[in-house]
Amino acid sequence: MEQASPDLERILQPAPVEPLGHHDAGLETAVGEEAEGVRDDERPGDGTMTENNFWLKKIEISVSEAEKRTGRNAMNMQETYTAYLIETRSVEHIDGQSVLTDSLWRRYSEFELLRNYLLVYYPHIVVPPLPEKRAEFVWHKLSADNMDPDFVERRRIGLENFLLRVASHPILCRDKIFYLFLTQEGNWKETVNETGFQLKADSRLKALNATFRVKNPDKRFTELKHYSDELQSVISHLLRVRARVADRLYGVYKVHGNYGRVFSEWSAIEKEMGDGLQSAGHHMDVYASSIDDILEDEEHYADQLKEYLFYAEALRAVCRKHELMQYDLEMAAQDLASKKQQCEELATGTVRTFSLKGMTTKLFGQETPEQREARIKVLEEQISEGEQQLKSKNLEGREFVKNAWADIERFKEQKNHDLKEALISYAVMQISMCKKGIQVWTNAKECFSKM
Amino acid sequence: MSGGPPKALQSTGPHSLRDLPHPLAGSSSEEAVGGDSTPSPDLLMARSFGDKDLILPNGGTPAGTSSPASSSSLLNRLQLDDDIDGETRDLFVTVDDPKKHVCTMETYITYRITTKSTRVEFDLPEYSVRRRYQDFDWLRNKLEESQPTHLIPPLPEKFVVKGVVDRFSEEFVETRRKALDKFLKRITDHPVLSFNEHFNVFLTAKDLNAYKKQGMALLTRVGESVKHVTGGYKLRSRPLEFAAIGEYLDTFALKLGTIDRIAQRIIKEEIEYLVELREYGPVYSTWSALEGELAEPLEGVSACIGNCSTALEELTDDMTEDFLPVLREYILYSDSMKVPADVEKCQDRMECFNADLKADMERWQNNKRQDFRQLLMGMADKNIQYYEKCLMAWESIIPLLQEKQEAK
Repeated sequence: MEQASPDLERILQPAPVEPLGHHDAGLETAVGEEAEGVRDDERPGDGTMTENNFWLKKIEISVSEAEKRTGRNAMNMQETYTAYLIETRSVEHIDGQSVLTDSLWRRYSEFELLRNYLLVYYPHIVVPPLPEKRAEFVWHKLSADNMDPDFVERRRIGLENFLLRVASHPILCRDKIFYLFLTQEGNWKETVNETGFQLKADSRLKALNATFRVKNPDKRFTELKHYSDELQSVISHLLRVRARVADRLYGVYKVHGNYGRVFSEWSAIEKEMGDGLQSAGHHMDVYASSIDDILEDEEHYADQLKEYLFYAEALRAVCRKHELMQYDLEMAAQDLASKKQQCEELATGTVRTFSLKGMTTKLFGQETPEQREARIKVLEEQISEGEQQLKSKNLEGREFVKNAWADIERFKEQKNHDLKEALISYAVMQISMCKKGIQVWTNAKECFSKM
Repeated sequence: MSGGPPKALQSTGPHSLRDLPHPLAGSSSEEAVGGDSTPSPDLLMARSFGDKDLILPNGGTPAGTSSPASSSSLLNRLQLDDDIDGETRDLFVTVDDPKKHVCTMETYITYRITTKSTRVEFDLPEYSVRRRYQDFDWLRNKLEESQPTHLIPPLPEKFVVKGVVDRFSEEFVETRRKALDKFLKRITDHPVLSFNEHFNVFLTAKDLNAYKKQGMALLTRVGESVKHVTGGYKLRSRPLEFAAIGEYLDTFALKLGTIDRIAQRIIKEEIEYLVELREYGPVYSTWSALEGELAEPLEGVSACIGNCSTALEELTDDMTEDFLPVLREYILYSDSMKVPADVEKCQDRMECFNADLKADMERWQNNKRQDFRQLLMGMADKNIQYYEKCLMAWESIIPLLQEKQEAK
């Protein structure tokens, strides 16, 4: 089973005193500060912390059980869902014993809520993805039913993986809402919603608009966006074909089971050949049934690929945020430029640009000098404000790019490491399958030789 | 499954007898019913049609070859020899070297029949003649006529629908050659049939047609009446004793039929699996083009899957060419022993007929056992080799995948 990081122990620093309202003001910079403080020192797997942290606590997180529940949903209709038990253990520094500190049940929708929150508050971070909501890329043996025990089991592992990834992320692990997710069963949903994060979320339409109209995005982000598109496409293709390959392989193995039956029937009419045939038939049955475990193992490989398929989407989200910010900046700059121009025209009396005032002036007569003065004053104020805003937007934008790119580099290393591990484990699976095949056929051959 | 247009045969001149090896030393791929399992260069000769150097013998593997398939099939043949109840073999017959002959009237194929024997019935120790299918058919008829109390091995199908099967394709000719070889070997093994004078002539005469014409007129009517009387004395009209054998043959043929269907189904599934694999491998290549550090590992996996695909193709080809035809021939063989006929029984001949048929059945059972042992062991071998090839491919890629990990 693949874990997010090789060791289960993570350092979790709950954000101590900050009121949740703190999140409202200047998100990126606040987070940036925190991140700056510990970035150089903290790496996954590393136990050291800087002086910014209050406690040195090692934590183990596991999603240990899944349970079917029935309850009433928002529309007061009965529904069946699966709840997952999350257990958090703290590992005592001295003797390495772990003590259960928290244990609560969460359902998939709560995980989704957590993730959506993280997406809004950490737009510069490649936020780890959740396991799929519905079973996709299935081959015929697996059911696409969410209640299917195999699917539930794989989802349990996927959810645990998600929590471990968040917990091992140098920035995300410090989030209070995340901490509460692990520790506060009741009222957590309300707490999250109170942050008002849904309001802060960028509208899809706005983001789409920005993508099309942004003029000068950072080239690295443009390239990254292309990469994530292509990665998504190639992994989807790979998963689809792999599912078909699994399907066919299943067929090949299972048909061999028929040999078992016919050899048995045939052995009944033979004298000397009977025993050899019978026992060979038994090996054919073993061969046919061995495929179930083999393909079960391969599903884990598919899950590892799927995680990175969904990570591609997270990458794209960061790129989109950059485009949005850049577009916002460009719009603000454009707006400022136009106001400056208006001001200049009013001051010098030349009318180069169209304005409503200009029109009404033409229609209803020129305004008084006092009126004009007033308007210039207003504009000058707006310009001054605009310049301030532009400055801070610029700063924000640069901070974002810097922090986002740092996380992207971290992500790239993680991806290369994880996928290499996945390929190795896949090769090991294939080797094991080949060895089993050789074993079975060698046994069968020996039986045949005794015919 | 062999792609591409069927290869045409070439004609060459006569071969020197000295070039031909002693069958025991050479023809592992001939006699091993399981077929040509190892594609090592030495064993390619079975498919050679005159292009190859004459020195390369038709069965060409010296006993000391290291390839596991040939040594195991060698072992099988040695066991075969041991099973012939202490008889020392003094007659060896091989069918090989198919050649196409184009004449004005027709085009046909001849096979070289090589005979080595120390028997007094043979004037020379070695013979090499060319025969076509017609000649085999004639031989079989003659044997049935002259040895009515014995079971005569079957020949491969006489008629092929033109346009559906290419009579001159490499595959077809090779399948037929193997069947004809089997036919002659079964006669050779038979203690009575192998001494039949027609068989002797078939193996030795330079001009078989002359002999055929000579014998025709005389024997025709006699032959027919004998056949008429004795034809019915095959198994069907026998009482209880042979009824059991008849039942056995029925079930046996049924089971073989089932096995044939299963084998076909497996090959079909394997081919479909192969189709998917051929799409699967290249996707890793496509992915590799997007990546930096992962490019080599991904490309490696792609190549690996490609190798496994090739190994699988070889497996399906082998099963199609070696396993299925032999299986089907056995179905035909057991069918051919159930000749229905209603004829008046001739009481005084009954005893003689019973004994011969019984002896033949026993011999048939014995040979059947060995043939199937070889066939099924061959099938197991092919699968083992397939997995060994795949294993090697995946094991060789592990260091490549792990490489950069340490470098980091």
